[in-house]
Amino acid sequence: MENYQEIIESGRLEQYALGELDPAAQAEVEALARRYPEVRQELDDLLAGLGVYAEAHAMTPPAGMRERVLGRVFADIKNAAPAAPIVPAAEAPTMRVSASNPHVASTVAPVATPATRSNGWAIAASVALLLSLVGNALLYSSWQKTSNDLAVALNEQTRFANTTQVMERRLSTTQEQLHILRSPQEYKMVALAGTPAHPTAQARVMYNKVSHRVYLDVAQLPPLPPGKQYQLWALDNGKPVDAGVLTATTTAGEDMQQMKDIASAQAFAMTVEPTGGSAGPTLNTMTVVGNI
Amino acid sequence: MSDEPLISIPTAAEAALVSRLRARDETAMTEFYDRYSAALYGVINRIVKAEDEAEDVLQEALVKIWHAIESYDSGKGRLFTWVVNISRNLAIDKIRSRQHRVSSRTQGLDDSLTAQRQAAPETFRPEHLGLQDITKQLVPEQRQVIDLLYFGGFTQSEAAEELNLPLGTVKTRARTALKVLAKLIR
Repeated sequence: MENYQEIIESGRLEQYALGELDPAAQAEVEALARRYPEVRQELDDLLAGLGVYAEAHAMTPPAGMRERVLGRVFADIKNAAPAAPIVPAAEAPTMRVSASNPHVASTVAPVATPATRSNGWAIAASVALLLSLVGNALLYSSWQKTSNDLAVALNEQTRFANTTQVMERRLSTTQEQLHILRSPQEYKMVALAGTPAHPTAQARVMYNKVSHRVYLDVAQLPPLPPGKQYQLWALDNGKPVDAGVLTATTTAGEDMQQMKDIASAQAFAMTVEPTGGSAGPTLNTMTVVGNI
Repeated sequence: MSDEPLISIPTAAEAALVSRLRARDETAMTEFYDRYSAALYGVINRIVKAEDEAEDVLQEALVKIWHAIESYDSGKGRLFTWVVNISRNLAIDKIRSRQHRVSSRTQGLDDSLTAQRQAAPETFRPEHLGLQDITKQLVPEQRQVIDLLYFGGFTQSEAAEELNLPLGTVKTRARTALKVLAKLIR
């Protein structure tokens, strides 16, 4: 077979990165990447390089676009949602069975009519047909009930699986948060106290200097004016570094939030910024601050 | 919003976002928007070259990402690669569907040439990876080829025709350019 050097030199990885390969050739490259770590590495580098190039063209979308686009996305998602997960109802098979019944009758009947030579046979045939029809009807109704029950059971099962998934996610988040709170040597608690303008504001940051993880837990924050969002900053040698914006649930103190990783900091502070966050802090909106 | 390129944000943070999207958590979509929209919008806008259409394509891309997130395979690459590809393909479909292709071919080329001479656009975020820095890494001929292939939706042979170059030259330039870009990450 080919060795990894030949694969790397073949130019196929570049074509893959640029999206020029058909699905079969794509799958082939993916299989090679799984087999040779060197190919995987090269492919990752190429994809990452192209990613950096793409991001170098990043443009902040015009003001107002966030609400418009997200609004329409959520509307679209909600419209699509009820249609998707419904388990197919039993209508299709029901139709087939009820349509076949008259056919059974009409094909049996002509056979019975020419057999006038013997009334006995005709009566027997009629009785047989009648019994068969009654039997069919009974079987059909019991089948229909079973199939309805099955649809209900499948629906229940899907709903249950969804609930389990949500619960598992909540559990793992809770466990993670518990771990953070119970590991004072791993996570340093940084109390953020309200500035003179907002004396009742209070929050805390859990900061891991080794893994650079930052978690935020809000106790109380003043309500935000519309179009604004709280943003956390790490102060490193006096220089503010963006640590991410707070989601609505975090701001309300309902949940802890993992913020952006911070390599080094001596203090954390929070300001009020336009939705989506700012590149630099608006200092006169500083709400809470605390030293590590 | 971050100094860190999206392609190398910690895999754990990425995995957490993916699993929240999979669990149909709408706040995850908002967070996704806040983190990725500027990068995706930049790529889309660069391809469709019209802000209103770029907005439509971004919206389409987000809906598609929401519905297709189950099929994202982190073993095949980073989330950013996947979402950029979705956005890029939708944007390219858009310009193809409006029969934009023929008229914009030359325009696309002019545009990529002027882009090399001009400074970074106004909307460019200085705290981000500098477009200027990237430009310095690539010679103009390489950049021209990459722009046609990546933002123009051209295949290598179409790019060769467009630039009046032998296919071999286009392939070499594309490969060298991608290798230079890959080195930026190492």
